[in-house]
Amino acid sequence: MPLINFGSILSFAEQIETQDRDFYTAAAANDACADYHDLFGQFAKDAAKNIKNIQRTRRENVTEMILEQIRGFTRDSFIVSSEGADRMDAAQALETARSLEERALRYYTEAAEKLKALSEVARTLKLVAKKHRAHLEKLREL
Amino acid sequence: MTITRVKNYINGEWVDSTSTTIGDVWCPATGEKIASVAYSTKEDVDAAVKAAKEAFWEWRSTPPLSRARYLFRLKDAFEENFEDIARTLTREQGKAIDEARGEVRRMIENVEHATGVTTLMTGYTLEDIAKGIDCYGHRQPLGVFAAIVPYNFPAMVAWWFLPYAIVTGNTFIVKPSEQVPMTQTKIFEIVDEIGLPEGVVNMVHGSRDVVNALLDHPDIEGISFVGSTPTARYIYQRCGETGKRVQSLGGAKNIVAIMPDAKLDEAMPSLITSFFGCSGQRCLSGSVLVPVGDIADELLEKFTAAAKAMKVGDGLDEQTAMGPVVSAAHRDRVLGYIEKGIAEGAELILDGRNFTVPELPNGFFVGPTIFDRVTPNMTIAREEIFGPVVSTVRAGSLDDVIDLINTRGFANAACIYTQNGGVVREFKYRVKPSMVGVNIGIAAPMSFFPFGGAGNSMFGDIKGHGQEIFQFFTDTKVVIERWF
Repeated sequence: MPLINFGSILSFAEQIETQDRDFYTAAAANDACADYHDLFGQFAKDAAKNIKNIQRTRRENVTEMILEQIRGFTRDSFIVSSEGADRMDAAQALETARSLEERALRYYTEAAEKLKALSEVARTLKLVAKKHRAHLEKLREL
Repeated sequence: MTITRVKNYINGEWVDSTSTTIGDVWCPATGEKIASVAYSTKEDVDAAVKAAKEAFWEWRSTPPLSRARYLFRLKDAFEENFEDIARTLTREQGKAIDEARGEVRRMIENVEHATGVTTLMTGYTLEDIAKGIDCYGHRQPLGVFAAIVPYNFPAMVAWWFLPYAIVTGNTFIVKPSEQVPMTQTKIFEIVDEIGLPEGVVNMVHGSRDVVNALLDHPDIEGISFVGSTPTARYIYQRCGETGKRVQSLGGAKNIVAIMPDAKLDEAMPSLITSFFGCSGQRCLSGSVLVPVGDIADELLEKFTAAAKAMKVGDGLDEQTAMGPVVSAAHRDRVLGYIEKGIAEGAELILDGRNFTVPELPNGFFVGPTIFDRVTPNMTIAREEIFGPVVSTVRAGSLDDVIDLINTRGFANAACIYTQNGGVVREFKYRVKPSMVGVNIGIAAPMSFFPFGGAGNSMFGDIKGHGQEIFQFFTDTKVVIERWF
């Protein structure tokens, strides 16, 4: 499905963060992932913060000037499954977490480029990308 | 499904109208009835004016900074409820959700701008205008003001006026469009939460009877209106007769000129937004497309392809670029203009008639429509259509464009696409419309600049928002002072 405008790009970002938050919340509560309880809990908090940041950015930057169509951007390549976090073993949870973080980093990097004319929006997207990059680095160190 | 009837908000309370005349509110995307509204009576207006008048003196003597603090609270409350307001708006008006969000943003920007009252409302003084005599100009609020607002921007337009009116110490009454009463009702539910003194803001739903009762009421000091030109003229005249201040913003027939050196690929997204955004139902929409010289064929090829590619559908779907028009009656009116264009000999190159959205068979949809070979005297080049219909008038020179613009009668907005600074200078210097876009398709002033046209597009002299609005809502009392 194409991401054709400001609203759809930021709404998909909100979906990504909501999926991340739900995954990390469930993983943090999963006894099999007890070693990573704090890490997943922190990532869930980060995702919740990102949701607020994205919603604020959408509210404050949508104006009639920026209802113009975006081309060449679709959500298909950013769909990642994270079902069953409550039943995963630790290795599966970490692998899924890496997939989610890689997906988010890729999405925000491309979205920031697509919306680069809107500097405040691009700045927020880059900031969220930076947070996901930090998450990914932490996960890779494990 | 239970149909809610919206209520009036008078003296800090939600009250039913005394009227027995009830109108329906429709979802333009589905064609379903979603609410009803009582067409309030003169007695309802009298009650609102009485409440506003009684609230005035205490409110006007509240320090401006304290009044501004209510607006800060309101801004926060609007941010918290932003998405709810936008979704209510799209549901009853039809526009795409991003357009609704953009509208709510513009509404909030007016609240933000009005909080600058402690700077923007100050008067001025001069010592020694004569030996030992000083002179002061104080800005003082006047009393009760009212706004009568249209269906195309159900959230924003009332807030071009309300925050400035109340922050300067006046009290206020809003009459929303009877076609879209739910959005302003949602907004007033939020207003109700912030603790404004009773009677400072009021809302009366209804139609013509409410308008006339507001225009005739001796205790109303001024009227702000946005709507069609015939109604704007009527309101201006009635306010003149009854001695009210008035700012009466009417219709438009905006021309967008494309010069031979325009960068078409860069321009295309904003051109599409200009002509088809909000389904053409806005007073800043492009309506007449004027290619100059030999750019016409390339322009129309690209413009038509881009228009065809737009997704038309339910505004609540994030993918939708253009929603339905507001009502079945308005759809029929727009279709009537398309028929008239054909009958008068214009060439229909993109036909939006018989446009359907399969999953929404009862929606009030008109597809993007483009005419070529329109001549300046054709109806579709002269009258406001207020729909997604483009009339292309080919021109030979910049002078032709400026003549066309300055002979429409309407003088709301005009836009030009070019890379030539000299052409731009000539254009903005000579055109009559008050809002000019240069490589911009919608020349929409933000809250800190004035909004309004000239000619038949505006009656009155002080426009919506901007710094000037503080003059509309205040009287400059001059005190000449000497002490013996």
